[in-house]
Amino acid sequence: PQETGAVVCVESDIRGDVTIGARTVVHPKARIIAEAGPIVIGEGNLIEEQALIINSFPENILPDAEDIEPKTMSIGFNNVFEVGCVSQALKIGDNNVIESKAEVGRSVILSSGCIVGACCAVNTCEVIPENTVIYGSECLRRVQTERPQPQTLQLDFLMKILPNYHHLKKTVKASSTPARS
Amino acid sequence: MATLLQPEKVLYLVRGEKKIRVPLSQLYFCRYCSELRSLECVSHEVDSHFCPSCLENMPSAEAKLKKNRCANCFDCPCCMHTLSTRATNIPAPLPDDPTKTTMKKAYYLACGFCRWTSRDVGMADKSVASGGWQEPENPHTQRINKLIEYYQQLAQREKLERDRKKLARRRPFMPQAFSQHTIHVVEKYGLGTRLQRQRSGAPISALYGLSLKEGEDQKEITIEPAQALDEVEPLPEDYYTRPVNLPEVTTLRQRLLQPDFQPAGASQLHPRHKHLLMKRSLRCRKCEHNLSKPEFNPTSIKFKIQLVAVSYIPEVRIMSIPNLRHMKESQVLLTLTNPVENITHVSLYTCEEEDPDDINSTAKVLVPSKELVLAGKDAAAEYDELAEPQGFQDDPDVVTFRKSNKIGFFIKVIPQREEGDVTVAFKLRHDFRNLAAPIRNTEEVEATSEAIWLTHHVELSLGPLAT
Repeated sequence: PQETGAVVCVESDIRGDVTIGARTVVHPKARIIAEAGPIVIGEGNLIEEQALIINSFPENILPDAEDIEPKTMSIGFNNVFEVGCVSQALKIGDNNVIESKAEVGRSVILSSGCIVGACCAVNTCEVIPENTVIYGSECLRRVQTERPQPQTLQLDFLMKILPNYHHLKKTVKASSTPARS
Repeated sequence: MATLLQPEKVLYLVRGEKKIRVPLSQLYFCRYCSELRSLECVSHEVDSHFCPSCLENMPSAEAKLKKNRCANCFDCPCCMHTLSTRATNIPAPLPDDPTKTTMKKAYYLACGFCRWTSRDVGMADKSVASGGWQEPENPHTQRINKLIEYYQQLAQREKLERDRKKLARRRPFMPQAFSQHTIHVVEKYGLGTRLQRQRSGAPISALYGLSLKEGEDQKEITIEPAQALDEVEPLPEDYYTRPVNLPEVTTLRQRLLQPDFQPAGASQLHPRHKHLLMKRSLRCRKCEHNLSKPEFNPTSIKFKIQLVAVSYIPEVRIMSIPNLRHMKESQVLLTLTNPVENITHVSLYTCEEEDPDDINSTAKVLVPSKELVLAGKDAAAEYDELAEPQGFQDDPDVVTFRKSNKIGFFIKVIPQREEGDVTVAFKLRHDFRNLAAPIRNTEEVEATSEAIWLTHHVELSLGPLAT
């Protein structure tokens, strides 16, 4: 893959109906699991090792109940999911950064330019306003004046180097039914 | 099991001005007075200042001038982390030819933790990597400086009066007055221990030998009293109705770190220079010998003088505790470690009935009655696989094991209370050879250093009773 097409390493664990946009890099050992619905990932995203993006059933609903509609998880472009983060948010905008070991719950909606700091767990039911930074052990917040820069240099570098060391997954056109665990 | 090794389990009593019970690792030992000293019975002196991030040393005079702050490093006003300088390339017109643009480097400050940047408060990017950043000026600086000068002058006059009275009364004891009032007492308003020559008619005292400040002008500094205003600016009309923009409000901590401005809005939080840390040396108050003197270099963690208690006093540690039951005798295994290189004899005693030091113990303890002998610490012993047996006759009921300079021994504990933690106390008596004392007779073959016997009060906290 040169300029177009995503770079998805074979060692990454992708289950279910997942669509990945162009110029997105998925590192080995990243996990994208679409259990309760499809996941659509936009362009230019960077998903690092041991990151977990999961569209799972809410905890108090049994997976076998029939009246659940599959909800689509959509992720915008130029987002960064750093090492070891867990994202269950159904809607993520653009230019967000979820730092290492952060956790984002299902009812959170990240708009654009948000930064969830390292080890911060955000489980509230709200829309995080644009350009918010969540940091610290108590998840303090502040607003920054500009959004974080898109990681174009890093993405270009990875798209050149990763195929030298890893096998890549080929794109599959047909979409499969959502996997049930 | 690792919890038994925590130092707070074993406390030694320090008999200073206050009676303090502290683990041995936090104590110092003055080998001239032959007593334990804690941090509260020594005097602390500043050795040197250094910046914690760039590790740059700074002489004390310069530090005072810069208000104890580093010249190069900044703190994030938002999360107090250290700021780092980052560079971007911006197109800028060439000075010669305004039509062409070239990439120039622009530097800004950014925090790695909370992602604050200097652009957030409107500070323009600088073209030099360091030295371009200025702290904002305090509008009241001039008035404050004038007030400080005035009060410093008052303080000097007071000190002159006091010294004159002291010297007049205590003429024959002049050096004593000097040492009590000028070494340990820091003057008001940060004048330091500067001394001033008295009027030329008065006798020049023993203070002459030290640094004298050249005769200051005795001009009077007058200040205007502060003006009280009758009218105060009214609050804006929507003060009570305007919704609060929470991310913009500064926290108390952020506000008070900048006492000059105390901005209420986050967009006025400017970065400040980083505070310097200092290295301190400790001095015994009785004999004025140094107990701890660190090295001058900020990158070095070693000490020039390090008279810590763990290198002189045998250390007691808890090794294992059985189930403790009310009024039942159980055996607790302790270890004793000998820190010095010669053989040490240790005896343990239970506390007397009405011992004033024994306030915390909740159990009776029976300690071994025989003297315990500890071998000296031999640094090469751990590499010597064929170590010969040390030839000590140990009573197997008391001493469980012996390993180079350490022994394990039993004490018997009888908890007296039905509930609560079990605490025991006993006295530890050991011989101490003072190597600091001068060798009296150099003709003798062996250096005979006197052995003195020191007694310490040790308290052990053995945890709760077994249920």
